[in-house]
Amino acid sequence: MSKVLSFLRIVGRIARVRPRFVVGYVIVLVAILAGLLAPAIAPYSPIEADPTQFLEPPSWKHLFGTDAVGMDIFSRTIYAPRIDLTIAVVGTLLSAVAGSFIGALVGYYSTGRGVRVWASYAVMRAADVLQAFPVFVFAIALVASLGQSIQTVVLAIAFVNAPIYLRLMRAQVMSIREMRYVEASLVAGLSDLRTIMRHIVPNAMGPVLAQLSINVGWAILLTAGLSFIGAGVRAPTPEWGSMIAMGFQNVVTGQWWPSVFPGLALAITVFGFSLVGLSIEVVADPVKRRALVRDLARVSLCAAPGAASLSAKSTP
Amino acid sequence: MTILPYIGRRLLFIAPQLLGIVLVSFFLVKSIPGDPAVLMLGPTATPEAIASLRSKLGLDHSLPVQFWIYLKDLAHGDLGTSWQTTRPVLEDLVQRFPATLELVTLGLLVAVLIGVPLGLASAFREKGIIARIADFYGLGAGALPDFWLALVLIFVFYTLLQWAPAPLGRIDLAVIPPPPVTGMLTIDSLLAADWDAFRSAAAHLVLPVLTLGLVNAGPILKMTQSTMEKMLQSDFSRYEVLCGIPHRLVVRHALRNALPSVVTIISVLYGFLIGGAVLVEIVFSWGGAGQYAVQGVLNSDLYPVLGFVLFSAIFSLFVYLMVDLIYLAIDPRIGH
Amino acid sequence: MLTVTHSFEAERPRPAAVALGIERLRVEFPTVAGAPKVAVRDLDLSIRPGEILSLVGESGAGKTTLARSILNLPPSPGRVAAGSVRFGGVDLLQLAERELQRIRGRDLSMVVPNPRGELNPLLPVGDQIATIARVHLGKDKKTARAMALDMLRAVQIPDPERRMKAYPHELSGGMAQRVVIAMALVCSPKFIISDDATSGLDVTVQAQILDLLRRLAIERHSAMLFITRDVGITAHFCDRVAVIYDGEIMEIAPRESFFLAPRHPYTVMLLAAFSHNPRLRRGWTVSEAQRRTVDAAVGCAYADRCPRAQAVCRRVKPPLGELAPGHFARCHFPVERS
Repeated sequence: MSKVLSFLRIVGRIARVRPRFVVGYVIVLVAILAGLLAPAIAPYSPIEADPTQFLEPPSWKHLFGTDAVGMDIFSRTIYAPRIDLTIAVVGTLLSAVAGSFIGALVGYYSTGRGVRVWASYAVMRAADVLQAFPVFVFAIALVASLGQSIQTVVLAIAFVNAPIYLRLMRAQVMSIREMRYVEASLVAGLSDLRTIMRHIVPNAMGPVLAQLSINVGWAILLTAGLSFIGAGVRAPTPEWGSMIAMGFQNVVTGQWWPSVFPGLALAITVFGFSLVGLSIEVVADPVKRRALVRDLARVSLCAAPGAASLSAKSTP
Repeated sequence: MTILPYIGRRLLFIAPQLLGIVLVSFFLVKSIPGDPAVLMLGPTATPEAIASLRSKLGLDHSLPVQFWIYLKDLAHGDLGTSWQTTRPVLEDLVQRFPATLELVTLGLLVAVLIGVPLGLASAFREKGIIARIADFYGLGAGALPDFWLALVLIFVFYTLLQWAPAPLGRIDLAVIPPPPVTGMLTIDSLLAADWDAFRSAAAHLVLPVLTLGLVNAGPILKMTQSTMEKMLQSDFSRYEVLCGIPHRLVVRHALRNALPSVVTIISVLYGFLIGGAVLVEIVFSWGGAGQYAVQGVLNSDLYPVLGFVLFSAIFSLFVYLMVDLIYLAIDPRIGH
Repeated sequence: MLTVTHSFEAERPRPAAVALGIERLRVEFPTVAGAPKVAVRDLDLSIRPGEILSLVGESGAGKTTLARSILNLPPSPGRVAAGSVRFGGVDLLQLAERELQRIRGRDLSMVVPNPRGELNPLLPVGDQIATIARVHLGKDKKTARAMALDMLRAVQIPDPERRMKAYPHELSGGMAQRVVIAMALVCSPKFIISDDATSGLDVTVQAQILDLLRRLAIERHSAMLFITRDVGITAHFCDRVAVIYDGEIMEIAPRESFFLAPRHPYTVMLLAAFSHNPRLRRGWTVSEAQRRTVDAAVGCAYADRCPRAQAVCRRVKPPLGELAPGHFARCHFPVERS
């Protein structure tokens, strides 16, 4: 019990010093909970339509109103995270794992003997070509060629984002590789692969972790965008992007709720992920971490008992 | 002058890079299911008609042979034909690419005008209210879906306030467009001194440009802010303060050092937006190149997609070359 | 017994006025856990006009913190908690930033270490020197540029006309150091702080820079606070020597008295460490204490490492006592010399 209390106290201190971090984690938590608990809390089914109730404005009966087909927007909005978050998280994790792995290898073998150097150079040039593609068109083409389904959307996201982690990991590995403890590990007889896994990867993880959360946000946007033009998740599966698309014409004629509410939910969720990513970035970057620690110290000084005498001593 | 051989070397590299891009996109696009011959002739086509159309289109060759034929045609300036518009892809793109370019360039300009001053303001006064707004905006703008923002803007400024024209393209249907010189309506109407066309084109540009500008100001703001902060806290800035150099001058020097990073992100956005403005183009029925490519993918119309990828890749490579030249001019450390 | 082999030049007139007076200066760094770390502790120091005072200490003793705090620019995240720095009749620590900006670089300047990391990478060094002349002395561009060229000649940079247009990364360490000295001296300030100006340079270059600094200071009748880790190089260079340890002055004395009869155990260890006599070195070098057991606020900060420490040293902080005319040491049991 006391552990929970002290944890909460730390959270409270962080909230005072950097409120945005707490906001970010709360938003992400709410989104995840919404997806998990949707079947329990949604007032209506997300895919059943009541044709007599189409385009009803927001009211107590339908919190967010209904769309042109008669489906309750509130229920669909809180069901949507199941699809959006799953696709985004799985896709991003896939891209991070694959991209980081290849990137670590490429970085490690970027100098040295023979064939491996050429191979890593070739992989980098291939990544260049891949990144020269217009991202959106590439994603759509992938989905179109592999068949439109949730799995292919995940694959498209993974493919599009992998080069980011590839480059990130490669840069990190190239700089860490020069460090002494890596030399020591090799001299001690560890194989290349084990050296990479044991020593290099843990030290390179910082920037990758920070990138992950922000990437999930982008992936949600990409999924929504794909669904918006009909190349992503198919109706009537509740998904924020396709909901916005379905309400498109209605907005122009004045019924704003079918598109605006899902869009708000989408924006706020992505925002939350950006904030979480920011908090990880601060912890990973020594300069920013020092600033955070300094601010936390200031706050805890005021809060701690006996601080009055301490602060009296340090002022002239 | 070391600049000319540098440009020469870069141009030399562009050719194989483009080849690589064309290769990958060709095979990717060919893997999209859907037989163009069937799609063109419709559901009532006979098998013989389909077969003869396929052979006419060259679809019965193997893929590598098709690729070789495509390359040969490319060398003659033939990018293939779109079966949707029944016109050569080159013609379609020449008409549509300037539309996208006009939109993206103006949108990026607005993004810079919003993002850079806000980023600078928040770097200077870290605790002030402008900094808080800028922080929030920098984070929030990256989270906004551009197609959703476009809808919201349409709702507010067209449906509610009736200020903006209907989101149905680049110019009023009643207005005759000016003779095409650059393909960009604003410039062309100015050249022809056609004020009606100019006003109409400009009015139609407002909402989509605002959408792109508001969304893309975010990353520019964040980059400006973080780079300026880093520069102001850097050793050389502190040293200048130590030497008693007035704040104004320290800031000016820091700005100059921050320029490369800001230029980088603007150029990256520029290359990205050519294909990345697709959703906004669709919302406003802009008739741009990105929209053209997306329709190609969704309808298994392959040559428009290939043509668009080629155009946008050339544009990106050109932008990167320009940026590297700017770096050479700013930073004396490069090239040594 | 240490011998001073260089003859002391003729005594320069010593007016009673003080060029720079530091009084009870206290600089702190906030920490995560409770009390802030004190980097400079209630430090008093005064330097006379035209005097060269050498300040010696090991890494982490607080030298750079002190140097930058004089200009009210303590290294982040430090802050000046108390004290005053009197210069030209005003307390620098009470001045507004705008007024301080006018004094820095013009009346009171600093020579920094690691010059290539501190110079603006995008500007030619000639412009950087000229900017100082323009900003502080109101000179126009042409005059400022001529002054910069003169300064480059004065610091003995070879081929100064060409070097005017050079960028910092094109210069060697020694040349960049000369540029930084030029920037510090272009306005002929009345007071110069030299912070570790010769670290990282080749030994021969070090000697040249030292000679240069001293000559320029004497020419301009400037006082100088010369900060260094190497007690040896100050031997023929300065008028007085002070030793700083853990943010406090442990000993301060005129040059001869300092080298011939050091009183503080830490000074003796410092001199022995740099001595050529191996017996001396072995006798006085003590391994650094692993943990801090003494509370520096009440007791002597050196008690953990001192071979002469007694119980009283931990409980009562020794004051800076005058053991001989002008020779002060902060110790309960100072070393006696026969």
